[in-house]
Amino acid sequence: MTLAAAFLVPGSPLPYLRKDNPPWLGLAAGYEKAARALAAARPDVVLLYSTQWMAVLDQLWQERPRLQGLHVDENWYEFGELPFDLSIDTELAQACIENANALGLHSKGVDYDAFPIDTGTIVASKSLDPEGTRRFVLAANNLYHDFETTRRIATIAGEAASTQGKRFAAVGVGGLSGTIFREEIDIADDRIASDEDDRWNRRMLSLLEKGETQEVDRQCAEYVQAAKVDMGFKHLAWIQGATGGRYYGARIHAYGPTYGAGAAVVEFKV
Amino acid sequence: MAKGEILAGYLAPHPPHLVYGENPPQNEPKSEGGWEPLRWAYEHARESLDRLEPDVLLVHSPHWITQLGHHFLGVDKLSGKSVDPIFPNLFRYTFALDVDVELAEACCEKARARGLVAKMMRNPKFRVDYGTITTLHMIRPQWDIPVVGISANNSPYYLTTEEGLEEMDLLGKATREAIEETGRRAVLLASNTLSHFHFQEEPPLPEDMSREHPFSHEGYRWDMRIIELLRQGRTDEVFDILPQFIEEAFAEVKSGAFTWMFAAMGYPKLPGKLHGYGTVIGTGNAVMEWNLAEAGMARAEAAA
Ligand SMILES: [Fe+2]
Repeated sequence: MTLAAAFLVPGSPLPYLRKDNPPWLGLAAGYEKAARALAAARPDVVLLYSTQWMAVLDQLWQERPRLQGLHVDENWYEFGELPFDLSIDTELAQACIENANALGLHSKGVDYDAFPIDTGTIVASKSLDPEGTRRFVLAANNLYHDFETTRRIATIAGEAASTQGKRFAAVGVGGLSGTIFREEIDIADDRIASDEDDRWNRRMLSLLEKGETQEVDRQCAEYVQAAKVDMGFKHLAWIQGATGGRYYGARIHAYGPTYGAGAAVVEFKV
Repeated sequence: MAKGEILAGYLAPHPPHLVYGENPPQNEPKSEGGWEPLRWAYEHARESLDRLEPDVLLVHSPHWITQLGHHFLGVDKLSGKSVDPIFPNLFRYTFALDVDVELAEACCEKARARGLVAKMMRNPKFRVDYGTITTLHMIRPQWDIPVVGISANNSPYYLTTEEGLEEMDLLGKATREAIEETGRRAVLLASNTLSHFHFQEEPPLPEDMSREHPFSHEGYRWDMRIIELLRQGRTDEVFDILPQFIEEAFAEVKSGAFTWMFAAMGYPKLPGKLHGYGTVIGTGNAVMEWNLAEAGMARAEAAA
């Protein structure tokens, strides 16, 4: 097994673009700790799944060797641009596509100039790898895939990396409770939208921290429902699948609000 | 300044396949054609739009999804290459458009006055969504008429369909006020597909029309029922059953463009002109027109 590290991180651009806003300081600092942990783990490749890369037809995988450009978030454009420059492990992406197709999970590569790279992928890759030295495999969130299908796809990715003898890190990019404020707020007063969302987030983070994986599985569906968790918490399915469940707890580097929604930087102990 | 008016509204869906099938110079991928009946429907719509000589085209697109309120493009000129994230094999389109910022600002202000959260998008590097671009190309490939681009707030999905569409109704009424006060001669574009269940896989040749047909009998029946009511001008009945249509046919009108447009037009009981209907990977698409100018209704007072 060549699992080097695993992280659950937020895809919101807010703490990334406004690191100095007091309610977002924690998340920004948490991301820095995670970046140091990733550097120390020295993975050959990062398997990254972002809930914000939405697909509908197939399971999509990025196959362009280098992705460069500048993205403006469709909601939070006033906070600034998101330049990116990403290197893709195309050999591994190709193996993921082939292996997924062989198992009946229709997969396709995308290799197009100006293909829209989502905010979550950019925020996570730039935060975790500020020097841009890592190589990535990027997988889309097919909206029709459930938690279990996502876990299976991630398993395929983790196994393909192992087969190619690569040390890999798994990164699931997405939020926790999904309710954002629907009226404009002063960002200096940002907080989790409701106490119930906050309680649920803390309960789930505590289970992850203690490595109570069965309890996580048992409560996940209820959490998703009760707290409107970002995309059914499929970014956790990505971690579970890619790591093969081989972690024994986690460090919660940060937990905080992103315009009312919950977000956390979680490093799994692998 | 003369009071502005809404000359017409079009149901103008945005499958990128239609651009792909047409092979305009702006689009990189090339096809053997396909989806002709829908593209010919758009040809008719282009001709009627041309005769209207509007000052501005307003488009509400489900692919600019915003969470915090309703947003308006607010930069004079926007350009770039738009690649559809779902169909990058079909749509890689180089565009440049002019925005009617003054009207957009007026729409935004009027929306706020009606209690909606509304925002102006001022970032010049913003990437215009592919729904907006596809609809605009299909209705006016010359790109010579300024545009107001409006986001789809996610309220119909986040709240209930009914609550969300109530917001779209207010947004439409605000849009009308803004058009009237700024003296614009405007055309509205509702960028929506009807029944929206679709096939999960593309044929090897996307334009292989032997593979194109409605996804389901139920979806097709629903589309025909809605179109027939619209053709007869039975607007009230359409809006009575709209939530059921949305629920049972997974209709994209849920995102609000259709309601926004009808609210702005004052829900006229004017028979809609059907330019054509066709499916795209199984979804139902109608190109329809409500020509208020022709019907002498452009200046009629909107229902409150
Ligand atoms: Fe659409």
